[in-house]
Amino acid sequence: MSQLRQLTVLGHSVRVAVRPGTEPGPPLLLCNGIGASLDLLEPFVDALDPRIGVVRFDVPGVGGSPDPRLPYTFPLLALGVGALMTRLGYDEYDILGISWGGGLAQQLAFQQPRRCRRLVLVSTATGSLMVPAPPRVLRKMVTPQRYRDADYAVQVAAELYGGRMRERPDDVRRLMHDRSRVGSRRGYLLQLLAGAGWSSLPALPLIRQPTLILAGDDDPIIPLVNARIMRALLPHARLHVYPDGHLGLVTSADTLAPLVADFLRAGGGRCNT
Amino acid sequence: MSTSTTTRLADAAAPLDVLLVDAALGPVRRFVPDLSTARWAVSLARRPRTTARRLGALAGETAKVVVGTSDLAPRRGDRRFADPAWTENPLLRRLVQVYLASGSTVDQLVADADLDPRDRKRVRFLVENLVEALAPSNVPLVNPASAKAVIDTAGLSLVRGGTQLVKDLASAPRVPEMVDTSGFVVGENIAATPGAVVFRNEVLELIQYVPQCDEVHEVPVLIVPPTINKFYAIDLSPGRSLVEFSTQNNRQMFVISWRNPDPRHAGWDFDTYVGSILEALDAVEEITGSARTVLAGICSGGILASIAAAYLAGIGRQDRLAGVVLAVTVIDNHDAGTVTALSDPRLAALAKARSAQKGFLDGRSLAEVFAWLRPSDLIWNYWVNNYLLGKKPPAFDILFWNADTTRMAAGLHADFVDLAIENQLTRAGALSVLGQPIDLGKVTVDSYVVAGIADHITPWENCYRTTQLFGGRTRFILSTSGHIAALVNPPGNPKATFHTNDEHGSDPKAWLSGAATHQGSWWNDVSVWLDERTGALVPAPKELGSTRLQPLADAPGTYVFDK
Repeated sequence: MSQLRQLTVLGHSVRVAVRPGTEPGPPLLLCNGIGASLDLLEPFVDALDPRIGVVRFDVPGVGGSPDPRLPYTFPLLALGVGALMTRLGYDEYDILGISWGGGLAQQLAFQQPRRCRRLVLVSTATGSLMVPAPPRVLRKMVTPQRYRDADYAVQVAAELYGGRMRERPDDVRRLMHDRSRVGSRRGYLLQLLAGAGWSSLPALPLIRQPTLILAGDDDPIIPLVNARIMRALLPHARLHVYPDGHLGLVTSADTLAPLVADFLRAGGGRCNT
Repeated sequence: MSTSTTTRLADAAAPLDVLLVDAALGPVRRFVPDLSTARWAVSLARRPRTTARRLGALAGETAKVVVGTSDLAPRRGDRRFADPAWTENPLLRRLVQVYLASGSTVDQLVADADLDPRDRKRVRFLVENLVEALAPSNVPLVNPASAKAVIDTAGLSLVRGGTQLVKDLASAPRVPEMVDTSGFVVGENIAATPGAVVFRNEVLELIQYVPQCDEVHEVPVLIVPPTINKFYAIDLSPGRSLVEFSTQNNRQMFVISWRNPDPRHAGWDFDTYVGSILEALDAVEEITGSARTVLAGICSGGILASIAAAYLAGIGRQDRLAGVVLAVTVIDNHDAGTVTALSDPRLAALAKARSAQKGFLDGRSLAEVFAWLRPSDLIWNYWVNNYLLGKKPPAFDILFWNADTTRMAAGLHADFVDLAIENQLTRAGALSVLGQPIDLGKVTVDSYVVAGIADHITPWENCYRTTQLFGGRTRFILSTSGHIAALVNPPGNPKATFHTNDEHGSDPKAWLSGAATHQGSWWNDVSVWLDERTGALVPAPKELGSTRLQPLADAPGTYVFDK
């Protein structure tokens, strides 16, 4: 069972959910997609091996974390996340980043090489230097409308998220709305802004951690080729392509969570594929 | 911080619909001279002789102050001028005397004017706030404590205070920080009674608390907390928690934790909230196996609980209730303190439109209004402490709770404002919820009603009128102190007393004059009342939840953390 806490980190109040693992070991830190509150990842956490501890948080201005006073960047946010993990008493941890959070995860792996043990990148790419989604998809990503209006979310779910959402767009209501928290427009814009001009592309060869890349074969927001580029540039990465869309980590949690758990617990050290 | 100060702070509050109307419109509106002020000016102009006499008297008094023959002095116990320098320093003494003379002159001018009670209350409110704001004690360096602090810290106190002022003004609520929140963590040393969320829907989480006795009474208690703050007013620090006290007294406790609504939930109204209470009641019955439950409500939660009880009575399912407990709840709003003076239907409509446009009423603007209703305690006190002296505000659990604001869905806001202004619950059928006309007279189970004698939000006389509304036998308890302090009233406080009187006539004053005074807290009294209505003692359940309703999260749950 996850415990929720509101912690003050570097002067900001941050909503955090901690699920202690049943066995000792580094926990898995989840970095969420843009605009999404930590509740979205509940199905994945529920499906993940209970032996692994899980830490989730809401970025300032998103979900249950109040707006940040000033704009921030990925390196600053990574600094805050490091401080957060210290506050929680974790020195070493694994990191999983989905979509926008995948950018943060790469920044963390690069910025905290001694604290970040393994890296899982899901439905993500290399920031502003990437193969972009079609303009009609990107246009819908500029506003947090889909988090504020459930009907709109259902309407755009297939086109935006692909995969299983194409057959069951109504699921988005359950996943993204029923129990989620919605942040402010300003929080969303600052999140977009944090990614502006940022790219991990030149730094990928310097990320030495064993890395698992998960990518859906029908992800309209992050075209699959991005995963292949990351696979090529990260020295210790392997790629797993799954038959689902952008929200695969949630909609296919039953198949992807065991894969992640295996990577983190056993085979993670050897990434030769 | 002394007990008397904490009690006073805890009591600083405002009537529900004033709070709701003002929060939507912004507190500034009440500081701007309005039609009432204009009527005051006109009235004074019409009686030039009285006015001239008052001003002449002020001039005379000022002359006496200047030559040093005035014997004006701050009233005893005025903490603003407690420092001996205010009386010993000839300059400061004269400053205070001029201030006091001007203040009382303005006061007399309000009394002189020919105004209707509503205008008079509004003018008095405006004038008192201005006089309060202009006190010499609010001025840096003039206030001797501030001057001393500047010398002691080589000016650092002013730097600290200035930084704090900029920080407080940078974001709503634009009032001085009233509490040092750093020592409190929800779930650890506040809202920390063990339990689990056993049911959750879009609107609420239902928390079941771990019984802290081997045996519990068969019939459980379900508490409906207020909707304008987090639920943990009844689960503050250990030793001050009503929930903890109850679980240690053989009680099966269930408490609702409301979700903090956002713009998506603008449409949530009485139907939504009462419907959710009924869902929670279903869950309580399923978990405990008890066919009956005591339904309890606090403040605005008490209004919702009363509606839910009347709904059940209306559909013929009153047998599901073993009793109703209402704490600091006003159901009959007629002439409730300053309400009539400060809100009117036009403003109410405007307030509803404002919240409808936003989708919710912002909790931070509620906090601002809250503070400006008791400016001497909640603004200027902290103005001096935080800005002039550059000190940290105190750490106090009730104020920590108070600073943890919540939003209110626009639909609920509108329903509450209508309810208060039209006084709907006092007339059978004036309100319909979930398609059922609401008639409190049909609620014939016993009820227990508790109020605080110094309560500014829910005046006890109004709480008392509830005894005339319900159809069953009502026990009314009048506790010491005000809104929150009456609620957070753990046994052991030697100053705590409460009044009882079994003759519940229609006149609250008559009830009080015939009442007996008892030593101690009403927590013990309600415990005895509940014992008589909650059945036999049975072994306490070993696990929380039921086969179907498995625990979803540890108490205090997840909704309480929503900012």
